[in-house]
Amino acid sequence: MRRVGFTTTIPLEVLVAAGVVPIDLNNVFITHPEKASLIEDAELTGFPRNVCAWIKGIYGAVVASGVQEMIAVTEGDCSYTKALMEVLSLNGVRVYPFAYPAGREAAPLKAEIEKLMSVFGVDWPQVDEAKRRLDRIRTKVHEIDRLTWQENRVTGEENHYFQVCTSDMNGDLDAFESEVDAFLAQAAQRPERKERIRLAYLGVPPIVSGLYDFVEEVGARVVFNETQRQFSMPYGIQDLVEQYRAYSYPYDIFHRLGDIGRELEKRKVDGVIHYVQSFCFRQIEDMVLRKSIKLPILTLEGDKPGDLDARTKIRLEGFLELLEERN
Amino acid sequence: MSDTLKIGIDLGSRKAKFALMRGDEIVRLADLDTIAFYKKYGSIVNDELSLDLLGSGIFSADELAQAQITVTGYGRNSINLHGARVISEIKAHVAGARTQTGLANFTLLDMGGQDTKVAQVVASRLTDFVMNDKCAASSGRYLENMAAVLEVSLDELSSHSEEPVALDATCGIFGESELIGQILRGYPVSRLCAGVNLTLVKRVMPMLKRFPSDTLVITGGVALNGAMVDLLRAQCGMEIVIPKHPQHNGAIGCASNP
Repeated sequence: MRRVGFTTTIPLEVLVAAGVVPIDLNNVFITHPEKASLIEDAELTGFPRNVCAWIKGIYGAVVASGVQEMIAVTEGDCSYTKALMEVLSLNGVRVYPFAYPAGREAAPLKAEIEKLMSVFGVDWPQVDEAKRRLDRIRTKVHEIDRLTWQENRVTGEENHYFQVCTSDMNGDLDAFESEVDAFLAQAAQRPERKERIRLAYLGVPPIVSGLYDFVEEVGARVVFNETQRQFSMPYGIQDLVEQYRAYSYPYDIFHRLGDIGRELEKRKVDGVIHYVQSFCFRQIEDMVLRKSIKLPILTLEGDKPGDLDARTKIRLEGFLELLEERN
Repeated sequence: MSDTLKIGIDLGSRKAKFALMRGDEIVRLADLDTIAFYKKYGSIVNDELSLDLLGSGIFSADELAQAQITVTGYGRNSINLHGARVISEIKAHVAGARTQTGLANFTLLDMGGQDTKVAQVVASRLTDFVMNDKCAASSGRYLENMAAVLEVSLDELSSHSEEPVALDATCGIFGESELIGQILRGYPVSRLCAGVNLTLVKRVMPMLKRFPSDTLVITGGVALNGAMVDLLRAQCGMEIVIPKHPQHNGAIGCASNP
């Protein structure tokens, strides 16, 4: 089957309508058994050391997985993607650019989606049909999220996993839906968890592993995964263009803050972990978050993939002690 | 309660520091080079590092038997000390600063061998903190390297704050070649030393700006660098307090933390 990669969440409905296998290249990179070597390969090719490891990992993922076609999000996410697109074009990969309009206007967003539709030869009825199919799965993932913060039966890592997978539904809608169904059936039966501290995780998904487990080891739990939840299109909007206008990740920080503020309140969060990626423009937004959010914030900076390091653990422990003292 | 014997141990990257306290009174302070301490008195037992505290001669058998032992610092989670309590470094340093200064509202700057921590304490409670995490160019190790390049002692390096030569390398190691370049230009050692001290100030200022308060308590070995403290005083606008035992602050915090 035709496989199409993408660099961050795009209107998945178009690919599903076209009957191609969607591949979130971030997931290919981060689940690759040799993910560190993908970055080294990219650096040997000539990618600078002081460029975000996700970009180098995506490059390595495309080369390693043999993806021949991909959608590059050139506005609304990482500007490095433009250069990545150029390098991969040189390698013979067919690249289709997609841009989220900075001003969140409906007309140019609709035009971008229709441009993508024409590339893949699908029309609106087909796309709407794909949306209904996707929304059925998304609704179930929203239930996993609700079980996380409202009924306290799901861990932060499980919450992260199911929501992050909605960007490409693991490339197989039926298999993913079965996995979600099986998880829901057992999660709903679990006893309620009783962590003392409730945390929010803001920012891009972590490049490091073990963060959620460690937090739980020391008596806290992540009950809000901001960006991952956004991937699951949490608002239940019928109109496709409006759905991708409400989606907060590719737009300005103030649009994101609207969503963050509502969820922190609703989920009764005690403190915030703001994860930023080394060499990413989003690091700058930490200043805005700190001014706008009244809860204590711990900013963690990740660079290369790997297990949570000792220094980060020390900082997390200190932060949780601080929250305990406040409670 | 007041005559309870307590031992605090802070296992830093350069020095292992020890404090013995009876209630609020400091009975004894000691320190050893971390690596030498581990080599001489450490052993691996069942995959855990075990420390022969009695063998180190710092504490008597009676003291070790009576005292409650609290540990902080690197590798503390893998250290097997029977009955020892483990606390985070932030908690230890804040407790130490409170015990040593008696202050309830202050910003704490702890500059150690490799770590620089800034914490804000309001009404005796830790409210927020930052910690260097990608580079140790604002640490004691950086000062040691620079003193070696300049062929001066740490005491000498710590005595110059006048007319600092500008050193701009973002990297502590590249800073060495930059320093050599400035030596070739003929600047006197005193101005080069002052330049090194000023780079430290420049690197911690963005962390300090986040937590303004009236008083800045400086701990860690770098607090012994008087020139750096003078330069910092000129820039930060806070009243600076240096406790009597800045280098043993973490160990004192461990021994005094309730």
